[in-house]
Amino acid sequence: MTTLSAPPAVSSLAVPGVGEALARQRTKRRGRLYALIRWAGAALFVAVFLALLVTLLQQAAPALGHMGLSILWRGWNPQKNELGAGVFIVGTLLTTALALLLAVPVGVGAAAMFAELAPRWIAGPLTAMVEFLAAIPSVVVGLWGLIVLTPLFARDVEPFLKTVPGLDAAFHGEPLGSSILLAGVVLAIMILPTVVALSRVAMTGVALADREAGMALAATRWQVVRKVVIPGAGRGIRAAVTLAMGRAMGEAIAVAFVIGNGSGLPHSLLSPGASLGSAIVSSFSEALPGSLLKSGVVALVLVLLAISVAVNVGGQILMRTRRPAVPPRGPADGSGTPPALPPDPGLVLVEMQP
Amino acid sequence: MSMVHSSDAPPDRPLVDKLAARLAAEAGTEHELGNASRGEEAPSAGGAAAPAAAVTLKDVAVTFGGQVAVRNATLELAANKVTALVGPSGCGKTSILRAMNRLHDHTGGRVTGSIHLGDLDVYGPGTSPELVRSRVGMVFQKPNPFPTMGIFDNVVSGLRFNGIRSKALLAEAGEAALRKAALWDIVKDRLSDPAVRLSGGQQQRLCIARALAVEPEVILMDEPCSALDPVATAKIEALITELSADVTVVLVTHNMFQAARVSDFTAVFLLGDDRVGELVEVGPTATVFAEPRDPRTKAYVTGHIG
Amino acid sequence: MSAPAASVTLSGPQLSQRELVRATAERRIGRRRVRSRLATAACAVTVCLSLAPLVSLIAYIIDRGARTLSLGFLVHTPKPIFVPGNGIGNAIVGTLIIVGLAMAMAVPVGLAASLFVMEGPRRLSGTIRFAADVLSGTPSIAIGVFAYAVIVLTIGYSGLAGSFALAVLMLPIMVRADEEAMAAVPAELWEAGLALGTRRGRIVRSVVLRSALPGIVTGNLLAMARAIGETAPLIFTIFGSQFYALRPTAPMSAMPLVIYTDATEPFKSAQATAWGTALVLLVLVVVVSVAARAVAAVMTRKAR
Repeated sequence: MTTLSAPPAVSSLAVPGVGEALARQRTKRRGRLYALIRWAGAALFVAVFLALLVTLLQQAAPALGHMGLSILWRGWNPQKNELGAGVFIVGTLLTTALALLLAVPVGVGAAAMFAELAPRWIAGPLTAMVEFLAAIPSVVVGLWGLIVLTPLFARDVEPFLKTVPGLDAAFHGEPLGSSILLAGVVLAIMILPTVVALSRVAMTGVALADREAGMALAATRWQVVRKVVIPGAGRGIRAAVTLAMGRAMGEAIAVAFVIGNGSGLPHSLLSPGASLGSAIVSSFSEALPGSLLKSGVVALVLVLLAISVAVNVGGQILMRTRRPAVPPRGPADGSGTPPALPPDPGLVLVEMQP
Repeated sequence: MSMVHSSDAPPDRPLVDKLAARLAAEAGTEHELGNASRGEEAPSAGGAAAPAAAVTLKDVAVTFGGQVAVRNATLELAANKVTALVGPSGCGKTSILRAMNRLHDHTGGRVTGSIHLGDLDVYGPGTSPELVRSRVGMVFQKPNPFPTMGIFDNVVSGLRFNGIRSKALLAEAGEAALRKAALWDIVKDRLSDPAVRLSGGQQQRLCIARALAVEPEVILMDEPCSALDPVATAKIEALITELSADVTVVLVTHNMFQAARVSDFTAVFLLGDDRVGELVEVGPTATVFAEPRDPRTKAYVTGHIG
Repeated sequence: MSAPAASVTLSGPQLSQRELVRATAERRIGRRRVRSRLATAACAVTVCLSLAPLVSLIAYIIDRGARTLSLGFLVHTPKPIFVPGNGIGNAIVGTLIIVGLAMAMAVPVGLAASLFVMEGPRRLSGTIRFAADVLSGTPSIAIGVFAYAVIVLTIGYSGLAGSFALAVLMLPIMVRADEEAMAAVPAELWEAGLALGTRRGRIVRSVVLRSALPGIVTGNLLAMARAIGETAPLIFTIFGSQFYALRPTAPMSAMPLVIYTDATEPFKSAQATAWGTALVLLVLVVVVSVAARAVAAVMTRKAR
């Protein structure tokens, strides 16, 4: 290209090529800005994640150093400087097991109803109602559990359970209302929408061809559900249960309201108890900053974190291996709707529970 | 199918009574054996000349939400013969097929007219769909073995659904069905392998075995070869011909040549003037293809339409 | 049928296998249908069991909450017991400020991080996904303690600490929702962009982002609806207040905290306050959730 001898008044854009070069430069700068934003976002995200782990470890270090591995089985006696999580772990396991025992059969049964057995006109609204339960804040459920369920359990439910022959071992002691049992029931109510929603999705995902094959072989509707749909939805149901379990383990507020805050190992389902979550809620504020007790409570947080993260990640892996998160590169599916559909809100809401 | 005769047996003894008698015999008491009495064997006035009808359709129409999909289906399906339902897609062949085992109960299709399986009114008020389906089996277009079950469990799944628990009976029936479908030697050493590991053609034969195990009188086949390669197709066509000795086969196919190869009778479905599918002609296959009565049939089989 | 399994012999002039199968099948139909109906009824019972707590919950909230609700309740600040003019005005405002700040922190970071996952090197995006998985599985009480250690120990109890905790809570949800919204964009748009020769990054920004926007908005608003009701991140961080506190660097009140503290007090008036607050909180959560879907629907319709 020949050297320009144009007067300076002439805009450089009049010269062919320069405009494009400038535009390219701008795009490159913008591109670099975008890249910076992306990297910053990712870095910040990872930083928060790491900071969480590091900070908790740091704060819990004194207590962990003091107790060592015995934290997992020793009891909680701050006066004697014994800061073991044993009792709380038992409480967490008991309440979670109870919650699953109640929520899984009810949830899978309800999901079967919504996915297969109920007529379509009623299944939709009822599904929405059950899954709406997931939107209610846990403190509100705790409030209701405390004020409505506790007297109900103390007056009617627990005395009744004591009279059932054969269950005496599990249900002895004073019916106070606030108990491991009630905590388990409240947790079951809270995790039910998770079980129902994810099981329902798994069941509707079972191919129509499989269901028709069952019907053509003279299976009754229930046989199709039991032998074709539920096994076919097995992976999704297992994921649902795992996620529900993780949620039950991590729930602290609602449990704190109704578990009764007992110390020592619960000797029956009717006795007050404590879970990791409820213990943290009740002990953290009282502990003086910088004290060994405070560090001990943070150690409880770490134990809870370890258990529930392990369970939750397991459940998410079970769920994730179904859906690809990378956009499909295959041939166009010809759907013809350029704007993406928002994710199924009910499912997203439920999936968001920890 | 076999019949057991006993000279002093009263005719028309229900099968169930026979079973009860047999069980009593096992307990050591006397029993009588009676004739197996099933619709298609009822000694009718038709005599030995005309094959008895296994399924009779009279003026059957299928409607989806107010829109008629197919109408005017009146035909008799001869027992132990292969009847092909042919025609271009959308003419209602599959709808008619599914009407025969009441699958429309679940798809929202309304079936009018009457369908009789021998003596049994398929849509009668006292007839349960399970009863119909235990006597009328189905094989689908795309092979659909149950993905969570192994090969053997798939084959006997129908038996299990129908309440047969005896392990010995399941094993024998399963093996017999697999043999009939020419699969036994292929799978006998890996009966607990997941069914989905078989090839497409093998899966379809597995589905056929599964349908056969319940000992149906009729087997409905909805384009069973359309998802398969030519080699597998040929095997299944051979199988169909063999099977028809024991069961009545109703085969929906859009492939005229397949119909010509395999079927004894052919029913032609075409679109009427108002775009509604209807039965146009039915008769022995050779006749339908060589000397069709209806001009529309002629146009179809010579390739001018569809 | 109680035929002994092993003693069934199928040979001989007795019933053929075929007839045995047919006979058994026919016999069983009645029992099977009854069992199917019973099982269906049992499932209907589970549906009732699932709905009963919800119905009771809503009934109580509306009934007891409505009794406490009044214009004054929404505007006044808390008063000691037996003093008239009790209200949760400061808690409502506090919730809005805290959640608003949390959104301001979480939305951009979440979007940026999910863009990184879509556009950036594949190996590193796995790290982000793993971090999101672990973070979303973290109990909210742990996040509250984390926020305490990071913010409260440095600048003291504050609304900011609560916002930080809520932001950490929402981040993984938003990252996942954003990513899913972008991945749900039909392949045609990706291919159209690729066919035009543009680099993957530009496609994402110009094309995919725009069409994924409804999904992103829904996901973020739903995360906000969740955060509004969260209590555990707040109980160790914001400390609460009896007054209208608008400075984020000082202690503030918020509705979930009010419910938490008032519910356990033995006074009826405190419990009444708790119910009233619960009603307001629930209404807010529902409004945001409905708005989330409505906005997405409007945006989708506009884009068509």
